[in-house]
Amino acid sequence: MIKSNDLECQISNNETFVLIFVILILSFICNLSFDICHSYAEESKPNAAETLTKCICEGKTSQPVCLDELKDLYFKDNKYTDFVGLLKGICPENKTVEPAVNYYIAFARYSQLKYLEDVKNWDEYFAKGNEYRDDIVNCAQAALGATTSKDPLNIYSRLLLYQFHADQQDTFSEASLTELMSAVTGFAQSNGDMEVVRKIADKLIIYNESGKAKELYKIYALKLAGSDIKDAELRNITDKFYKDANLELAETIYDIYIERISKSLSKEKLISELTEVAKRFAYSNNAAADPLYAEKIFKKIEEAGGKESWSEELMYLRGFNLEKAKVFAQAKDVYTEFLKTFPKSSHADEVAYKSGVIFIYVLRDLKSGREYFEQLARKEALSPHVLAGLYQLGLLKQWEGELPAAKEYYNLLLEKMGNSDPDALAVIQERLSEINQGKPLEYNLKLGLDAALKEEFANLNMSKVSLESSRHLPEKGEEVAIHSVTSLGPTGCLQVELQYLWSGDLGITKPAITQSEFKTSYKTPGTKLINMVLVAPEGITDRNIDLIDVH
Amino acid sequence: MNNSNKSVIDTGRKAAVFAACILFLFFIFGCAKQPKVFIKKLKNKNYQLIVNGRPFVVKGVCYNPIPIGKNHEYDWWSDSRKPWLVDGKLMKEMGINAIRLYQVPEDIGKVKTVIRDLYEKYGIRTIIGDWLGFWEYPCPLYGDVKFRERIEKQVLDMVNSLKDEPGVLLWILGNENNYSCIGTVNPWSSEEIDKEPDPQKQKGLRIKTYYSFVNEIAQKIHKIDPNHPVALGNGELAGLEYAKEAAKDVDLVACIIYRGKTFGNLFMSLKATFDKPILLSEFGADCYDAFLKKEDQNMQAFFLESQWRQIYENLAGQKRGAGNCLGGIMFEWTDEWWKHDDSNPDSWNVHDTISNWSNGSYYYDIRAEGNKNMNEEWFGIVSLSKNPDDGLDIRSPRRAYYAIREFWKNPNLNNKKKKAKSK
Repeated sequence: MIKSNDLECQISNNETFVLIFVILILSFICNLSFDICHSYAEESKPNAAETLTKCICEGKTSQPVCLDELKDLYFKDNKYTDFVGLLKGICPENKTVEPAVNYYIAFARYSQLKYLEDVKNWDEYFAKGNEYRDDIVNCAQAALGATTSKDPLNIYSRLLLYQFHADQQDTFSEASLTELMSAVTGFAQSNGDMEVVRKIADKLIIYNESGKAKELYKIYALKLAGSDIKDAELRNITDKFYKDANLELAETIYDIYIERISKSLSKEKLISELTEVAKRFAYSNNAAADPLYAEKIFKKIEEAGGKESWSEELMYLRGFNLEKAKVFAQAKDVYTEFLKTFPKSSHADEVAYKSGVIFIYVLRDLKSGREYFEQLARKEALSPHVLAGLYQLGLLKQWEGELPAAKEYYNLLLEKMGNSDPDALAVIQERLSEINQGKPLEYNLKLGLDAALKEEFANLNMSKVSLESSRHLPEKGEEVAIHSVTSLGPTGCLQVELQYLWSGDLGITKPAITQSEFKTSYKTPGTKLINMVLVAPEGITDRNIDLIDVH
Repeated sequence: MNNSNKSVIDTGRKAAVFAACILFLFFIFGCAKQPKVFIKKLKNKNYQLIVNGRPFVVKGVCYNPIPIGKNHEYDWWSDSRKPWLVDGKLMKEMGINAIRLYQVPEDIGKVKTVIRDLYEKYGIRTIIGDWLGFWEYPCPLYGDVKFRERIEKQVLDMVNSLKDEPGVLLWILGNENNYSCIGTVNPWSSEEIDKEPDPQKQKGLRIKTYYSFVNEIAQKIHKIDPNHPVALGNGELAGLEYAKEAAKDVDLVACIIYRGKTFGNLFMSLKATFDKPILLSEFGADCYDAFLKKEDQNMQAFFLESQWRQIYENLAGQKRGAGNCLGGIMFEWTDEWWKHDDSNPDSWNVHDTISNWSNGSYYYDIRAEGNKNMNEEWFGIVSLSKNPDDGLDIRSPRRAYYAIREFWKNPNLNNKKKKAKSK
């Protein structure tokens, strides 16, 4: 007799066997079904192609969708030639489909050439390239010949021809762009689908034709605004384009939106709306920004509300935005106004320091710049900008050869600073050691100040070299890449040996004179001034500065 | 046959002989009047190079066959193995119809041998240049009378010696000398220029000084050699806005252009600033991928084929091109292994892969360190390798050789305006 416990165990063992058996069966079924699915997938393309071909040849309204799906079916595996082969023999009795088929042949060849170039399939590229180019031009023109500018297909064919010629940077690209623009304008006037207009503009942005794109965006935006659309809805659409980082289109519609609300909203509400738009486009580390557009909106705020419309934060943002856009002279004006209006602001030290820097290093006005640093030096409460201002005062005196005065500023700085910043301490001690040992001011620093302030360098206007930083608002210790961009005109294959004389707050890095760029980070907060003088074989060629705010 | 018939026949014969003589004289007169090589301005304002009465598209290559282990001072003209014979054969097979020599040596006899061999054996013509003292030390002094006289004499002597060689195609004065006027390379000045305080005006004065010097030489060449056009060598189009006034007697502009895939708006821009025909006298691509650090012949072929397509689009008679292009001269026939470090003879035996300069238009390898992607020693249409038998370095045509040969056979310009025959 089997004991109950044993029975239980047996049952339990049986259950295990059953479970294993079930799993095996299931996995077999799963495998089988996978195979079935797999073979279905293998066969699905011809089937799908057949279905889509039927849809295309029947000439129903779904025909464009079917053609597009058929294209996707082949493009996903890069089977361009197969696709063209299929299209070339597709429903010969149906002439109405011919223009669309021609367009897709051209589009397939265009995509194929791009693909061959991307994957460096040069054998096919060189052997068949000319044939494919012929297909692009001939088929796109055939599609054009069979359609009018009221037909989206006509517009897309023109776009394709433009893209083809623009990619080749050939003689026809300019003319094809003109033809495209004229066709799209005609298309829009004939009440064509405005999404087509927008798509063309989007493409033109990719091709760096932002002027032309803006023309089309304006047409699109005016049509949109001319419809029954409500303000709020228009704003929502604009916000969406902003979020999609399509700033050109967003700006075009915001302009129309602002024009509308200027007539309908109260002053307070209007300023509130404008403020939101300005903040959105103003400089920031992460979000999509267009500081110059932000300034355009700031001007509108001023027009709408006068001086009273400025809050402390908003006016600071305006100055900061202009400074980061490197419109230094205007930034200085805003900062000056800011200090007058909000002298006790938490931004006051920063704004005063930056004003001093702009006056001296950009506007060549030593006297005015020094006044700002002196204002800072008189402050009781210490801040990174007060200390930086003191250092600038010492540096300027040292550069002018007034060494006792320079020493006095440096010593005062040491006294105020204590041991709070070992790196800054080392720099001050280096300056003091230069003075004590009768050595000249460090060469790059001296040259930076010479170039900024001496009359003989008044022709250096910051137009031949610009400085860009990867982040203007980094955290302490965060890496910042700083690079210079020079525009000295062409010299062909005769390379000009340039020297980059960096000075100022360079952080943990000391870039060599051959380095046009460098990476650094900062251990202490405050505004960091980076100064660079560009030297070509004929001498000092230009200079520039950048300001980084470390938090 | 009666007498009256005879007299009619005699009169007819005399008239026929007379007419034949007149025609012959017209023919001789016509031929003598027309230069061997000249530029024709067509009714549609396009320009065409005419050689011996026929349109001629320059399909050229820069030629400086420095062997492995030697540098630019090597006298290849005296090489008993005559490298130009091996090269000429390969060039002819590719379809090349002209070479460009940047400067010829003083021994004109050797130059004539090379020109004749290439022309008589392979039908390849020679474009002859002169640096106009650009590489002299100290820097060229285009404002200095003595310097100008010396260079002018050097050029005119050369023209006098070579002008009757049937293989000569045209003269190029200078190369990228205009960049010295900007002041960034080989800078020079004069008392008059130094007096001008405005740096922009200084540049203008330098450019005018230089171009007027070229113009003077061009005028003198025309007097001694009416049979060959004179080109103003120029880096890009820089400074040519001054050439309209200062260099109006040059027949064409010979531009050095490295813009990657194509030449952008070059042809139209020239038409707007200085309406002269253009010869792309130096362009091309290297075949070393500085990013992947390996030879890439396809990359070179890709750029060259694309560049030739645009040259052809802008020849006379093309539908939508500028119609002012006379052809092009690729840089260059063979690699030159000395170029990376001219001061180190050991390196002349090494095919250096270190890039000297950056050009973002050659985008495949622009991500190389420091963006330096142009490999000066790897521009050859044919590569060189050492010959184990101590003979001439072995020439191996690169992919570009074949790609361009095929393009020239059937230039495809994608400018047809016809309907597709089939869907």
